Amino acid sequence: MSSALPWSILLLPLASAVVILLFTLRSGRVSSFTSVLAALAAFLCSWALFTSENTRAIELTWIDLRPLLYVPLGFVIDGLSKTMLLVVTGVGALIHVYSLGYMRNDAGKSRYFASLSLFMFSMVGIVLSNNFVMMFIFWELVGVSSYLLIGHWFERDAAAEAAKKAFLTNRIGDFGFMIGILMIWSATGSVVFREIAMQMPQIIAHPGFLTIAALLVFCGAAGKSAQFPLHVWLPDAMEGPTPISALIHAATMVAAGVYMLVRVGFLVQSSPAALGVIVWIGTITAVMAALIATQQSDIKRILAYSTLSQLGYMVMAVGLASGEAAMFHLFTHAFFKALLFLGAGAIIIMLHHEQNIWNMGGLAGKLRVTFLTFLVGTLALIGCPPFSGFWSKDAILALAYTRSMPIFVLGLFTAFLTAFYMTRLLVVVFLGKPRTDAARSGREAPIVMTVPLLLLAIPAFLAGFSFVATRFLPLPQEKEAVALVPVLATLAMIAGVTLGVVLYRNREREPLNIALLRKRFFFDEFYTWLIGVTQGTLARLSDFFDHWIIDAGAVRGLSSATWGIGALLRLFQVGNLQAYSFLFGLGIVGLIYFTIFR
Amino acid sequence: MQAAVLEISALVLGIFLLLCEAFAGALDKRRLAYGGIFGLGLILLASFFVTAGPLQPDAVGFWSFYAADPLALFFKRFALATTMLVLIMMLESAPRIQSGLGEFFALPIFTCAGLMWMASAIDFVMIFVSLELVTMSFYVLVAYTRRNPVTLEAGVKYLILSALSTGFLVYGITWVFGVTGETSLARVAAAFSQPNLERAPALFGAVLILVGLGFKIAAVPFQIWVADVYQGAPTAVTAYLSVGSKAAGFVVLLRVLSAFFILPQVQRLLVAVAIATLIYGNLAALPQTNLKRLLGYSSIAHAGYLLVGVVSFSGAAVGFYLVSYLLMTLLSFTVLIVVANSAGGEEISDFDGLSKRSPFLALAMMISMLSLAGVPFTAGFFGKFMVFDAAIQQHQTALVVVAVVTVACGFYYYLKVIRAMYWESPARAAPIAFSQLSRVTMTGLMIAIITLGVYPQPILRALSDASHPVTAQR
Amino acid sequence: MLSEYLPVLLHIVVAIGFAVSALLVSVLLGKSGRTNRTKDTAYECGMVPQGEAQPRFSVKFYLVAMLFILFDLEIVFMYPWAVVYRETIGADKTILWSMLSFVSILMVGYVYALKKGALDWKN
Repeated sequence: MSSALPWSILLLPLASAVVILLFTLRSGRVSSFTSVLAALAAFLCSWALFTSENTRAIELTWIDLRPLLYVPLGFVIDGLSKTMLLVVTGVGALIHVYSLGYMRNDAGKSRYFASLSLFMFSMVGIVLSNNFVMMFIFWELVGVSSYLLIGHWFERDAAAEAAKKAFLTNRIGDFGFMIGILMIWSATGSVVFREIAMQMPQIIAHPGFLTIAALLVFCGAAGKSAQFPLHVWLPDAMEGPTPISALIHAATMVAAGVYMLVRVGFLVQSSPAALGVIVWIGTITAVMAALIATQQSDIKRILAYSTLSQLGYMVMAVGLASGEAAMFHLFTHAFFKALLFLGAGAIIIMLHHEQNIWNMGGLAGKLRVTFLTFLVGTLALIGCPPFSGFWSKDAILALAYTRSMPIFVLGLFTAFLTAFYMTRLLVVVFLGKPRTDAARSGREAPIVMTVPLLLLAIPAFLAGFSFVATRFLPLPQEKEAVALVPVLATLAMIAGVTLGVVLYRNREREPLNIALLRKRFFFDEFYTWLIGVTQGTLARLSDFFDHWIIDAGAVRGLSSATWGIGALLRLFQVGNLQAYSFLFGLGIVGLIYFTIFR
Repeated sequence: MQAAVLEISALVLGIFLLLCEAFAGALDKRRLAYGGIFGLGLILLASFFVTAGPLQPDAVGFWSFYAADPLALFFKRFALATTMLVLIMMLESAPRIQSGLGEFFALPIFTCAGLMWMASAIDFVMIFVSLELVTMSFYVLVAYTRRNPVTLEAGVKYLILSALSTGFLVYGITWVFGVTGETSLARVAAAFSQPNLERAPALFGAVLILVGLGFKIAAVPFQIWVADVYQGAPTAVTAYLSVGSKAAGFVVLLRVLSAFFILPQVQRLLVAVAIATLIYGNLAALPQTNLKRLLGYSSIAHAGYLLVGVVSFSGAAVGFYLVSYLLMTLLSFTVLIVVANSAGGEEISDFDGLSKRSPFLALAMMISMLSLAGVPFTAGFFGKFMVFDAAIQQHQTALVVVAVVTVACGFYYYLKVIRAMYWESPARAAPIAFSQLSRVTMTGLMIAIITLGVYPQPILRALSDASHPVTAQR
Repeated sequence: MLSEYLPVLLHIVVAIGFAVSALLVSVLLGKSGRTNRTKDTAYECGMVPQGEAQPRFSVKFYLVAMLFILFDLEIVFMYPWAVVYRETIGADKTILWSMLSFVSILMVGYVYALKKGALDWKN
């Protein structure tokens, strides 16, 4: 029985995806209920697994080429994966329910729910994998399902482009990840986490090798968790349906990178050089994304950049060698960010797909439940005590304070920016007067959409209290060490909120105009240029190769060799078959000479 | 149940089909093929109930000729599965057979019986007789559409060169017999390890036998016939030739080498042959524009990879490679038949824009090409992986280097086909029709290729009992 | 020991000697060099030669010839069988059954050939 639970958590979503694809593609209604039921059942199983004491790892043989390669089909079941399963299936189930409302009239409803189930399957797979090979495969499957979901409205060019961009950017990271896995495998002869952990002393003897391997593995995480410089795909991914943005691009998939880094923490933490790089990447992402977020006008993009920034915090925590702090923030962030996205989704759908915040305004009175829950999410995100975000962000900042002052200052600055842009968002969208007809006619969302909002608001408020959080995951210890940090963080938050209120109260349009931030530091333009140049060079190179090496060398060389033999044989005045038999005999003579007389 | 029941029932099935063909004149001849497929399926099922046992060196009478060890059983199933698939392909190409459709379906069953005998043969006499049974039926099959001059040419070439190689095989067997006084492989091996062995004549016989087998597996320098014969023969027969005949050659090679590897020169010889085969097959495939010819050269290249496994004494690697080779080759030939039926030609340009005309066929072809090239998560990848691993463990560095370089070469010509299917625009837009049976078969093959690429354990387990026939006897 | 092979050597010597001497004699006795039209024609028992030097046979001929060779060769296989039959049959019956199965397979081939009209010259 105990081993049936993880199996059912993994396979229920897969079964739902298969059933939908094979049988119920015609009926969106049946498909959606199949998918929602599977997600709810998976959540219940996760809960049962969480409460059970079972930590026995399950291992079936998958590929057995020992001593060369042994890949088990194994699950790792410990506190970390149990909590992560709870987050993934819990948030996932709520978003399934919410999607019932959001996608009610969508033409591709069956396809949507099939992809959603596929995504749940792959995400659960990442969480449960006990070895690199399995994790990599599920990693790629997550990439595929994310591609399908971002590009759900593929008839819109922007969505198709965004899906492609997300997939390709992830591929870059995954390539590094794969090389990292191969390096670790070649050094330890194993791909199973437990065995690698036991072999670590051998690799630590080669710090250079270890650093490169760890950074390559981090490369995979940077792709999935959208860290600088591979962050460009996440904002574009907002072209997908909003529940997808909430599930994949806020709560779960982007957290997979962080989860993976924590899972292989033994590897990353044994290389100080790699940790140094990771912490700075995280910090740069956090600050940069927060800066960009202050100047965006699309509600989902603001939240997307905010996600980037919060992921930066998590990676920062990983870089500060505290998996606990990273997981803590991941845990709280999953709830309040999903809540914010779902709230944004409710606004968007009620305003008939209006996403520009300057076309909204004064919605607080009309979408009351949405407003209140959104407020809870915002307070949690900006770290207002005692909301959940306060505790987890504080844990990271305290960690930074004890380890490195510049990181701490930048972290504090990010906290200030977060409070600023979220206040801006709240003020412009919910307060003031409605600026368009759409905003004037807004109504409250249907109950299938508000119930998940309410349900998510509870953990968004509660999840940070230590008496709640310790039930789910171990908390970092540094938290109590410094009393100054929470005070400073709260001050930064208050400053941000004040500035936001002062600047944006009763504005009709953007008072600030900073092109560099609005254009997102010109990353997309730079990448376009870079890809153009490399592609051109590569194309010219391969053209050269094809033309001069293959055509001229191999092909002409061979054909002239054939011709040469033919000419040689024509000297004997023989026909084709005779030539063949002659060559045959020649071959035999050659072999006999080679074997016996040499 | 004795293992020999399988071969005997295959023979009886073949005879039965032949008599049906002769006596039931009005019968739709396709029924015979369905009957054959069904019968072979039953035999395949029965093969899981026969008792396998290790080789018994002191056996007498029939059992000194015939071994029912796990390796033999594995290859018997291999032969049965191949023949069933080939019969399905033959059904698809039946419209192009002018006369004698019934025999066209009955002959592969005799070939199959020969292949099964061959898998069990542990005596030169038995090897020769079963080899002849296979070869004779191929003589007929290759030239089946003889009104086509290309086919006729292929048939004549195959007949003459194959007879030549058989001659050398028998000559080699006589020499070995002359030196050792034995035809049983186990006893030949024992005689070869005697210190007072006359080395030169023994080697001479061994080389001649290897020549005969080298022809069967299309190793350089006995590969000359391949391109012409593959191109000229009916496509289903080509597929059979490139899988069944080759697999039988390899299983005999594995058995024969258990005796010959006692002579150090033999391994050196095989390394040289493997390198030459790898280079020739891959380079010659590069400029091909005819897909059938391309597959012919690619089958030479794959013989090279298989030889790498043979040289590295890894029965498991060879077995797995052959299984993956079976799947991807038969899949590509099936698509080729279907497309050629509609396009009328077998040039790569006939595949232009196939993805638009029939996404299913294009997908099938793409999977088989990727697997042939050895892309991860396909069966072909694991086959190469195991072969290379075996070679590295035997410290055959030169061999591995050549093999890896030629793999890269292979990507070029396999991807050429994919490019034609997905990037070129089709010459005509008509969708391509094919039977439901073929669709099911192709789907099954695709699933098998991917499954084995992701989860190779079943075959590995089946082979773990069967592996190392070479070292088992040393 | 080599003396056992003396007959073989003799055989070889005779064979080569015959061929060489026949050629030699024809060169010596024949009036070589002097040719005319009549002398160059094919020898056909005094009749005036007609048609081509290689007349075409019906393809049926090859079929019949092949079948003849096939069944003829099987008889060769039966000779040694018949020689040891009396000695072995007492011990066990395998020898009988194996030949019977062999012959029955041959029978099937024969029936098949008959049914297919391979021996029907007219058709």
